Amino acid sequence: MKPQGNGSASSPAVETHELWKTFGEGDTAVHAVQNVSVTIGTGEFVALCGPSGSGKTTLVNLIGGLTDPTRGQVRVDGREVGGMSERERAQLRLDRIGFVFQAYNLLPVLTALENAEFPLMLRGVPRDERRAEVSKLFEHIGLGGLEDRRPGALSGGQQQRVAVARAVLGAPALVLADEPTANLDTQASDALLEVMEVLNRERGVTFIFCTHDPRVMRRARRIIRLVDGHVERDAEKESGELPSWVLDPVET
Amino acid sequence: MIERLMLIVRMALRNLRRQLRRSLLTASAMVLGIGLLMFIRALEGGAHLMYVETATRMGTGHIAMEHPDYMGSQDLADRIAAADLERAFRAVEETARPEELLAVFPQVNVGGLAQSASSSIPVRIGGVDPELERDVSFLADRVVEGRYLQPGDRLEGIVGVGVAERLRLELGSRLVLMAAGAGGDLESQLVLVTGIFRTGVPEVDRGVVQLPISTAREWLGLGDDATSMSVILASDDRTGSIADAVRERLRDEGVDADRIAVRPWWEAMPDLHAGLRADAVQTYVMLVILLGIVALAVVNSVLMAVLNRTREFGVMRALGLNRASVGAMVMVEGVILTFASGLLGMLLGLVISMGLFRDGVDISWLFGGDLAFAGAIVDPVITPAVLTVDVVAILSIVMTIGILASLYPAWHATRIEPAEAMKTDA
Ligand SMILES: Nc1ncnc2c1ncn2[C@@H]1O[C@H](COP(=O)(O)OP(=O)(O)OP(=O)(O)O)[C@@H](O)[C@H]1O
Ligand SMILES: [Mg+2]
Repeated sequence: MKPQGNGSASSPAVETHELWKTFGEGDTAVHAVQNVSVTIGTGEFVALCGPSGSGKTTLVNLIGGLTDPTRGQVRVDGREVGGMSERERAQLRLDRIGFVFQAYNLLPVLTALENAEFPLMLRGVPRDERRAEVSKLFEHIGLGGLEDRRPGALSGGQQQRVAVARAVLGAPALVLADEPTANLDTQASDALLEVMEVLNRERGVTFIFCTHDPRVMRRARRIIRLVDGHVERDAEKESGELPSWVLDPVET
Repeated sequence: MIERLMLIVRMALRNLRRQLRRSLLTASAMVLGIGLLMFIRALEGGAHLMYVETATRMGTGHIAMEHPDYMGSQDLADRIAAADLERAFRAVEETARPEELLAVFPQVNVGGLAQSASSSIPVRIGGVDPELERDVSFLADRVVEGRYLQPGDRLEGIVGVGVAERLRLELGSRLVLMAAGAGGDLESQLVLVTGIFRTGVPEVDRGVVQLPISTAREWLGLGDDATSMSVILASDDRTGSIADAVRERLRDEGVDADRIAVRPWWEAMPDLHAGLRADAVQTYVMLVILLGIVALAVVNSVLMAVLNRTREFGVMRALGLNRASVGAMVMVEGVILTFASGLLGMLLGLVISMGLFRDGVDISWLFGGDLAFAGAIVDPVITPAVLTVDVVAILSIVMTIGILASLYPAWHATRIEPAEAMKTDA
């Protein structure tokens, strides 16, 4: 394993500079992300909101190096992602970033436990240590006893929690979560958010959520609203109350 | 690292199980193909062993020792002197283990003319030692009338059925053999027909006469010399190394290759060897072609498996698995599939060859009357022989094909872009 990323403590967790992502060309071109420049400091807890199709998923994919920007730069821990080789990017994701994908995307041939420990295993964490961490977290988020089930035998909400467990286990420096609570009832999403808040507070893990969920936004300390691919509002939030601008007019 | 490898293997196995039906279909095609090919090769191997066995017993032995020029000159001046025969005999006895050695015997082999009251024909004349050759002579078992030579015989001789026919000979008939003697003059010898043999090989049946070596030596003025010395071994496995050792030992005693050439059968009978080789090569070409077709099935199966799991590969890549590992996963899947099928196929081949057809397969219908192959005789019942070299060769071919067939799907998997893949349905 490589040593952990070489960014200095002073660099922000994520920095985008005039970031563009365009799908297609000419008349049919879709500018999914337009001129986005944001800086997210280490230890921030950020909600990315905006209507469907506003570019949230595209933006976190760009940050995680899963897609190349059309223009502009992304820095994670002060390191330019665009300049990295494929191998370096994979290593960056492995060492520094936890992902929760919009459709939880568990690996069907692995059990819940194996799915959750997958990144830890790739990182070379010893088996006993992994298992202990997974069990503790599973217990905490209501997955106790489901360790040996395959994803196909889990409910949507359960799969989602396994996916979140996979992203946060081992406390990566940055967690990118695309709608992590979309399928969960209040109780289950509160349990998950609790876990994430603890990680954020105690281990300084930076969180970026894409979300439509007011419960998530309520816990966030900063909300960035995207509309048509560009940043419409970006504001720190003090009270538990949500500002009215976070809500999409047509959606819940 | 080890754990990552184990995970890759584990996932590959589970994926194969997940697509059990497709895996089984692909596998069964391979199992059948490889099993049958192996059986065919075993039959061929069995036939070859038989050719070699009969050829060595009829011809030169597993190891043939001759004056290097005799094969070409057929001149008795190019013979092995009695003292060298003695040395050669000792060299063999000291080299081969007793249980490996079936027989060592000298022969006098000359071309000549056989003449009866009715006509005369050219023949190969063999002076043999009935005592030494009794148990290993191919002709001894093929005498259809009368008897084989025995110790104490002097004028007795055996002839092929064709010779008997052409010279109108019966048991007890006389014939006269004529050949150039050691002194260069034409010498003749009277022989009484005491046995008639039938081998199925026209050249032998129509052109061979054998008489006691003592008679031949006297007739041709050879003293205790001979034209060749043959070694018959219990198995062909060590022919080459024993021949080398004998050659070495003779050289140590001052008998160089210009006095005695020690040749394993494949050098002494190059035609037979080339024939067997061509035969085996043909089978292997067929095998590679057939397995190549099977490989397409593997490519298809593994590629489908990759295409159906685009999304999963995207996820794994997004989680930080590098391209190499993703490719490795696919390779492992393809190779396991091929290798397991290969092993099962070989097992099937073994069962067919050594179980079902243990007692041999009668292929006389294939040949009609002519049972010769490059001068060797074919017993129409072939006992399949599974040779280690074939097992190794087939396994290597299967492995190679498994690897080649997995390359493209694996390459395809490494090309998957995570963000795109996670949008697809597969
Ligand atoms: N591969 C692609 N090819 C073409 N257009 C794309 C592609 N991916 C995304 N888009 C477009 O880019 C825009 C932004 O998509 P994105 O998935 O980022 O939205 P989102 O904010 O995550 O929406 P949602 O809340 O529904 O998940 C959409 O208009 C979408 O149609
Ligand atoms: Mg989205």
